[in-house]
Amino acid sequence: MCEFKVKAGLAQMLKGGVIMDVVTAEQAIIAEKAGACAVMALERIPADMRKSGQVCRMSDPKMIKDIMNAVSIPVMAKVRIGHFVEALILESLEVDYIDESEVLTPADWTQHIKKNGFQVPFVCGAKDLGEALRRINEGAAMIRTKGEAGTGDISEAVKHISKITGEIEEYKILLKDEDRLTLKAAELRVPVSLLKEKLEKEKLPVVNFAAGGVATPADAALLMQLGCEGIFVGSGIFKSANPEKLARAIVEATTHYNDASKLLEVSTDLGDLMGGICIESIKGSKLADIGV
Amino acid sequence: MSETRCIGVLALQGAFIEHVHHLQRCIDKFSDYDKAIRVTTVRTAQELWQCDGLVIPGGESTAMSLIAQRTNLYDDLYRFVHDPNKCIWGTCAGLIFISDNLMTQGNLINTLKLLHVTVKRNAFGRQAQSFIQKCDFSNFIDNCNDFPATFIRAPVIDEILDPENVEVLYRLDKPDCPQDGLIVAVKQNDNILATSFHPELAEDDLRFHDYFIREFILKR
Repeated sequence: MCEFKVKAGLAQMLKGGVIMDVVTAEQAIIAEKAGACAVMALERIPADMRKSGQVCRMSDPKMIKDIMNAVSIPVMAKVRIGHFVEALILESLEVDYIDESEVLTPADWTQHIKKNGFQVPFVCGAKDLGEALRRINEGAAMIRTKGEAGTGDISEAVKHISKITGEIEEYKILLKDEDRLTLKAAELRVPVSLLKEKLEKEKLPVVNFAAGGVATPADAALLMQLGCEGIFVGSGIFKSANPEKLARAIVEATTHYNDASKLLEVSTDLGDLMGGICIESIKGSKLADIGV
Repeated sequence: MSETRCIGVLALQGAFIEHVHHLQRCIDKFSDYDKAIRVTTVRTAQELWQCDGLVIPGGESTAMSLIAQRTNLYDDLYRFVHDPNKCIWGTCAGLIFISDNLMTQGNLINTLKLLHVTVKRNAFGRQAQSFIQKCDFSNFIDNCNDFPATFIRAPVIDEILDPENVEVLYRLDKPDCPQDGLIVAVKQNDNILATSFHPELAEDDLRFHDYFIREFILKR
């Protein structure tokens, strides 16, 4: 338990901040200078992975190491769902956080990594309460909405945070009825005690960030107003005309998410933003549907 | 209780809510405070100047410093923390942000140059080296000999630049470890407190926040 507090504690320090996807040390430095509270080191940003149609795996540790050496903020890196050996490798590299991510091609379609056994903390995606609690039960120390990475379309992230918040409201009544609470826990495939604790506290027991489709300062502020505690930005920044300016603007919008005049200021004159793909045009399966 | 004291928690980035909750729980729990106290988050100069004390929380010191500069809060923060009538407490990133001097990786951080020490950032290493340790603070907090101190990518105070005014409150007690004896809590004059660990993460343990309220906020 003591150890879990140390893992979840780093996520608490990241709150109110922006975590940016970067593919090179140069981009990591731009992100740090813009005020990012952490970076996610990966070989290709989700927008490019989507286009490639190839298998996407953990990045080369050399590239992650270069980024760890280039910046003083925490560095996260992604592993495939269920690929506990990639996780062991990144733990050995001493990255600060591992993202067990649906953006990469899953290594196991039935099971996620048993994260409790690791020293390194994990963040996982979730699109509803049950999924969030299953990941926490496996040992995730931070949750993010799945959203739809690489699209620049915010609607899926909005759907997921609204669903999680809505389900907490909806299930609170079950606290008065042990039997129904037990049934619900079984349906969600989580221990009753975890569901109960969460409903009593009226929030997830770990930090919950927004991810997937954030492309503008207004997107970031929207998700913060809906109850997310911080923001992941993937393709949005480095697919825009002026990454430095946009990165700074998203950082400021995340701090001042309730201040409309500040949001007006940082939303103005950002140049061309990520074109994106709207969710309705996606053929085949969505990334958010990956994971159990 | 005619007078009211207001404690602000800087809310630019980081674990500010945890401080707000701990301070509020102290206010709700301890009925013997001789002044009324309220707690507020601080994002703007107007919010700042309503306060008698300011807690600068843990978070990322680069992010916090850059956001303060860009949102034009830095100059007000500088004047506020240098006012000897105000009480200031920096935890972790907050300690870095109020220090005079940074040893390592400091070029992005414009500190508030309040606390006369040199700080080493990420002094223990990366997240893999983060830890919790029970600490004996009974030399400055009555009966507090088992406080669970959480160190997350924590800084330490490498050198005290003004020994006349900066008092070491606690050195790390880790026998047989290279980190044994490192300075992790100090006090400057009677209005500035700095810790490299996170008392706001000690669940259900309000002793450190109660100490800040009694020995700093209520004594001004």
